[in-house]
Amino acid sequence: MSQPSTADRPVPGSDRPPESGSRRGPAGFRLPWAFIVLVALLVAGRFLLAPHLTHPALRTWATVFVAVCVQALPFLVLGVALSAAITAFVPASFWTLALPRRTSAAVPVAGLAGTVLPGCECASVPVASGLMARGVAPPAALAFLLASPAINPVVLVATAVAFPDDPSMVVARFAASLAVAVLAGWIWTRFGRAAWLPVPRRTAGTHAGRGSVFVDAMRHDLLHAGGFLVVGALAAATLNVVIPRDWLTAVAGVPVVSVLVLAFLAVLLSICSEADAFVAASFTAFSPTAKLAFLVVGPMVDLKLIALQAGTFGRAFTARFAPLTLVLAIGVSFVAGWALP
Amino acid sequence: MSRQAQGAVLLILGATVLSGSAFSTTYLNYVRPGFRPLLVAAGAVLVLLGLLSVVTDVLDRPGAADHRGTRVAWLLAVPAFVIVLIAPPALGAFAARRDDGPPAPVRAEGYRALAGGEVTELTLGEFIGRAYARTGPSLAGRKVRLVGFAVRAGDGGGWYLTRMRIGCCAADALALEVVVQGAAAPPEDAWVAVTGTWVAWQDGVPDNYVVPALAATAVTAVGRPAEPYE
Repeated sequence: MSQPSTADRPVPGSDRPPESGSRRGPAGFRLPWAFIVLVALLVAGRFLLAPHLTHPALRTWATVFVAVCVQALPFLVLGVALSAAITAFVPASFWTLALPRRTSAAVPVAGLAGTVLPGCECASVPVASGLMARGVAPPAALAFLLASPAINPVVLVATAVAFPDDPSMVVARFAASLAVAVLAGWIWTRFGRAAWLPVPRRTAGTHAGRGSVFVDAMRHDLLHAGGFLVVGALAAATLNVVIPRDWLTAVAGVPVVSVLVLAFLAVLLSICSEADAFVAASFTAFSPTAKLAFLVVGPMVDLKLIALQAGTFGRAFTARFAPLTLVLAIGVSFVAGWALP
Repeated sequence: MSRQAQGAVLLILGATVLSGSAFSTTYLNYVRPGFRPLLVAAGAVLVLLGLLSVVTDVLDRPGAADHRGTRVAWLLAVPAFVIVLIAPPALGAFAARRDDGPPAPVRAEGYRALAGGEVTELTLGEFIGRAYARTGPSLAGRKVRLVGFAVRAGDGGGWYLTRMRIGCCAADALALEVVVQGAAAPPEDAWVAVTGTWVAWQDGVPDNYVVPALAATAVTAVGRPAEPYE
């Protein structure tokens, strides 16, 4: 360490501007200190700590935590890449042509457009953020954000497979999810304030080419959204291991409470929207309305998503938008539940 | 957070994901087999982005680096540390015991007939599905072989042969269980193959879920399968 006082160590909080010239070595070359320290910590931990980290509860928690992260990562990368591509390569004028000019008309169009993004909710957050940065009206981008994880073909096929004897569940999920997305968009159009939702800023230098804009936008979004994804995964894995499923069967028969319990369970478990239908189908003691609420709430509001949204759009936004979506999703599930057998 | 620190975090995470998916099969402990190409692609993108950041920083070329609100990005190193330090195994008896409800719905119709004389290997899901089939060929009297891990029942010396089923990742895992009769319990979490015949229902297929039972003739230890989930 020739320059110990100026080396860039991976200490949370060391966000000094990187262009402070004093850190530069004589030949303009500096060692990747953060990488070296991280690898050293990994190797030391592997030899010193790993032999003690073997309790079954800890390992089960670790498996669920890693599973949530690993499963979400490809979709996050896909969403971030799409979002960066929207920023770098799609001109802003495209969106003014593609969407109706009136926001109230753009909301349902954007909600229906959610059918074209195959994937789960982790992909839709960065894409919605990219759309806003490109001038799409926030309510329309929000309708897309809510609708796409629930109504895309991959998720609908998974739902049909999980409920082989009950095709009406697929129809109800599609209709209820789209309705919640459009209603939330309209309500945000009417009552939302610009101060709650600062339009995501793009840190692209004017001198940079398109490729460089793409890489910078992608790295920024990936680090930022990824960090919050880990927060959500930590919470979801903990609750997944702590809540015993026996508690659920006790309330399965109670009409309204059972619906609320499955709705809140969807929030806590943070299961990927491509797999939640299989879990919903396993709640055999619950009414179809309660299962539908699980399917409608899960892709729109869960711990992982709340963390992701807070990281992407800010806390002021999430503190208002998540409760609004949750209430709408539960309400629409009750209404749609009457149509189910 | 400097650009080279950002690159280091991406590089570490990407390398961990790649080593677990492209160069080994540990990813099967967490997600379904079909996920492999997605994980390899995501890992490669992370490694490339990380290398790009670290290299441009080492060469000290000027570039846009934002140092506002990215402290949370340090958390991306947490999954890498958990994978390296804890090396989480596939879900086992601890997870199965927590999940005592009925299993995921199993297909209960449309099975083809099983051969009369020889032993047929079935998944636990198919065995349970056949046990609950109200129509179609019967499971009664057929010799079957099931592979799973052992979970001791809370009461007495009984035990379950168990396999977890996942739809997407281990967070949505559900336990498929079969009661094994006529054989001493192996150690908890030990992988075994059980050969035997189904214990038919006393009064037809029950309306509420009852764990099906297998009368064992042989229990042999087997290695942990590459795909731990069904």
